[in-house]
Amino acid sequence: MNRVKKILRTIRDDSQLMFGCIGICIMLLMIVLAPVITRWPGDYYGPDSLAAPGVNGHILGTNHMGQDVWSMVVYGIRTSLKVAVVSACISGLIGIVVGGVAGYFGGIVDRIVSEIINVFMMLPTLFLVLLVVSLFGNSIFHVMVVIGLTTWPSNAKLMRAQALSLRQRTFVISARTMGETKLQILFRYIIPNGIFPVISNTTMRMAGAILTEASLSFLGLGDPTVVSWGQMVYDGKAYMTQGWWVCVFAGLAIVLTVLVFYMMGDGINHVLNPKYAKGGKK
Amino acid sequence: MLKYVLKKLAFAVFTVLLVMTLNFTLIHLAPGSPVDIIIGPDNQDPALRAALMETYGLDKPVIVQFFRYIGQLLHGNMGSSIVFHTPVAEMIGSKFAATFMLVFTAAVLALIIGAAMGITAGRKEGGFLDKVFSYTSYTFNAMPSFWLALMLIILFATTLRWLPSSGMVTPRAKFTGFRYTLDVLYHMVLPLLTLLLLRIPGYFRTTKSSVLQVNSEDYITTLRATGMSEKKIFRKYVLKNAILPVVTSFGMSMAFLIAGVSLIEIVFAWPGTGRVMLTAINQRDYPVLMGVYLIMSIMVALTMIVVDIVYAILDPRIRY
Amino acid sequence: MDLLLRVEDMSVTYRNREKSVYAVRNANMEIFRGDSIGIVGESGSGKSTLAMGLLRLLPQHSAEVTGRAEYLGKDLLSLSENEMNELRWKNISVVFQKAMNSFSPVHRIGSQLIDIYRVHFPKAPKKEILERAEETLRLVNLGERVFKMYPYQLSGGMMQRVAIATALLHEPDLLIMDEATTALDVVTQGQILKEIQQMEQRLNTTRIMITHDMSVVAASCSRIAVMYAGEIVEQGGVKEVFRAPAHPYTAGLLGSFPSLRGEVKELTSIPGTLPDLSKLPQGCVFAPRCPKATERCRTEAPATRIIAPGRTAACHYAGGGNHEA
Repeated sequence: MNRVKKILRTIRDDSQLMFGCIGICIMLLMIVLAPVITRWPGDYYGPDSLAAPGVNGHILGTNHMGQDVWSMVVYGIRTSLKVAVVSACISGLIGIVVGGVAGYFGGIVDRIVSEIINVFMMLPTLFLVLLVVSLFGNSIFHVMVVIGLTTWPSNAKLMRAQALSLRQRTFVISARTMGETKLQILFRYIIPNGIFPVISNTTMRMAGAILTEASLSFLGLGDPTVVSWGQMVYDGKAYMTQGWWVCVFAGLAIVLTVLVFYMMGDGINHVLNPKYAKGGKK
Repeated sequence: MLKYVLKKLAFAVFTVLLVMTLNFTLIHLAPGSPVDIIIGPDNQDPALRAALMETYGLDKPVIVQFFRYIGQLLHGNMGSSIVFHTPVAEMIGSKFAATFMLVFTAAVLALIIGAAMGITAGRKEGGFLDKVFSYTSYTFNAMPSFWLALMLIILFATTLRWLPSSGMVTPRAKFTGFRYTLDVLYHMVLPLLTLLLLRIPGYFRTTKSSVLQVNSEDYITTLRATGMSEKKIFRKYVLKNAILPVVTSFGMSMAFLIAGVSLIEIVFAWPGTGRVMLTAINQRDYPVLMGVYLIMSIMVALTMIVVDIVYAILDPRIRY
Repeated sequence: MDLLLRVEDMSVTYRNREKSVYAVRNANMEIFRGDSIGIVGESGSGKSTLAMGLLRLLPQHSAEVTGRAEYLGKDLLSLSENEMNELRWKNISVVFQKAMNSFSPVHRIGSQLIDIYRVHFPKAPKKEILERAEETLRLVNLGERVFKMYPYQLSGGMMQRVAIATALLHEPDLLIMDEATTALDVVTQGQILKEIQQMEQRLNTTRIMITHDMSVVAASCSRIAVMYAGEIVEQGGVKEVFRAPAHPYTAGLLGSFPSLRGEVKELTSIPGTLPDLSKLPQGCVFAPRCPKATERCRTEAPATRIIAPGRTAACHYAGGGNHEA
């Protein structure tokens, strides 16, 4: 009980974390309540083509196929969140293990891994992602996995730095003298104690994943079987002069979602990073 | 210094080789045979197939294939487009200038403007300008590039009719000389503005936090203790120290910019590599896609070398 | 002797939205020309804050400094920024703990020395400045070859010497050394302390030495001020205080410092930690850790009293008080 109170107070004290949490709660609610707050399913093709916002009960209008924009925005949350969570988790897991191994084992392993991390951090990942998706087929599953597989280096870099400093700490050294194996130490001490910056970065990466998915959809590499905001912008682009609302609202949905994840990530960083926690907030 | 440059060169070569390896691995992991990926499943010309088998040693062990593939690439042979049957290098090369012009201008301007904003905000943290800059850059950072481009088109081209929405020159105008340059610049405004709005936030953040960091360094306190004027401290000491991380981020930012520019070129129908890429995606023209990836990576690697050298000139600790 | 600096009721409070931290409270001090006073205390005791407050180098938006600090009749705390800058380095200079970080890493030492010199003599020719700088560098056994070097090319000890030489450029009246020898190894530290004392005699400099190391005070100071949790709990001549500490905290500090001469004693450490400076205890700040604390200590804050000529202590039982023990 006390813990819950403490967490709630932490959230209240950091405005970014608070907005982030509220935003995510709203999105989750919208997913659950989707059938209640929309009049049409996301894949319903109605008779009104390019109806302006407000016409015939279409709050945000319809697209050229007669789909209700508001419904699509609501059902698109599901896709975006799925992409965000799955790909960021893949990226986080790989990053933690690779970075942890490099930082803790040190030596030649570390040097090679760091160089690879550096290379990947500077390569234009988007091209690799779209190459893979176009080669292997554009299902949402591929999109998520590929984004996860290409964005781990920043997590690995953070984890490596953590592992490097943690391995000098007394509790790790004592564990080593007690005869625990390197892998045991890595998973029992290094990773649990060094994971916090990765968590904050992973939240930021969720925003990145949403943007990447949107870009892929915009290039025609999205999954045609799901409702995706990027896809909506892509479809709306051709009808921009007759129906600006399709592009505008779909894009706004992306911007708001990305902002929510940014704020969440910043907020987590403020709370977990002792540098911010002490000096009060800005 | 020489050792340093050589090290950076080796790193660049390593990068490019890694990209080549990735391309190679993808060809082999992807569903379908490598031949189909290289010449397209519709092309059943047996002579061409045989020639390819020979060039890349497709009947030999994977390791032989790998070295043949790299060898071909090092000779500048990136294969031919499945759709247009023209060499990939040529296809990308002819469009590269337009992309480069856009990317380079955007990169330099974003650096200058972003750094200037970051310095202003960092000097007066929490001030009015800092708040305005911080919130706007936060928001722009959250926008998908293509969507921002579309919004700017709706605003400046469709509604206000101030600027052209697409292309690099006015069609059928046949301008020459100075008029031509002006026409290109005129068409460049919106794509450039989009790229700037997307990239400035990054430089702004880096510069601001760097200025704040340097401002809290012990040596700045020492200089204050000597009674030196804030102006002098800032101009000579804060600025030079604070600009270092910004220089590093220039290289990193290049990767984002190059990825971003493709999407923006598509929205604005800018005749650069982005267009080539879009056509290639729609036609599943894999050799072209791989070529784009490779060329873009080489461009990033080259930028990194330049950035590293500039960094070494600025920071004496690097030169040893 | 003439009075150089009189600190009266000086307090420093750090404020942010959530709380106020009373880092220094009602500090009083008199420093005479030629004195060398060591301010000792644990980290977090407010000794650096006090010095930074005197130099007016604390962040203005979060640190509130009250009281007076009269330097030759001028109140340092209420001077205008320009008047203060006039005094800085020419009259009062400072050496910080991490000399490696006291110089910009991307500028040559010579160039920084020239800039610092020109703060007060904007028109001084380069040659003259370098000659002067060389003179001060020689005081700390360094030569002009460091002019062309960058900080990273020198060792920590050498940089410390450069920092000291820089502080002496204008032969200041008052030199503040904030843990300036802490990062050095014992041999270098001893050497530098000796050089500084010789220099002081020649230049008649006054020195405030901030340190947590009693042995540094013993080796290089004539007077001592002991700080605990933001208060000066005891002040006096080094010899007198070391011989007979009046405040239990001083005694504790001396107990945890090995005597070089004399019989071998068992070292005692002071149990407990510093109190939270945002909410202070009602009575004496040291009471929770004091081995001799009584009921009175826990309810009534002791005033700082003069217990002997030139000696003060903030303890109910100091100077012939009736401690049972």
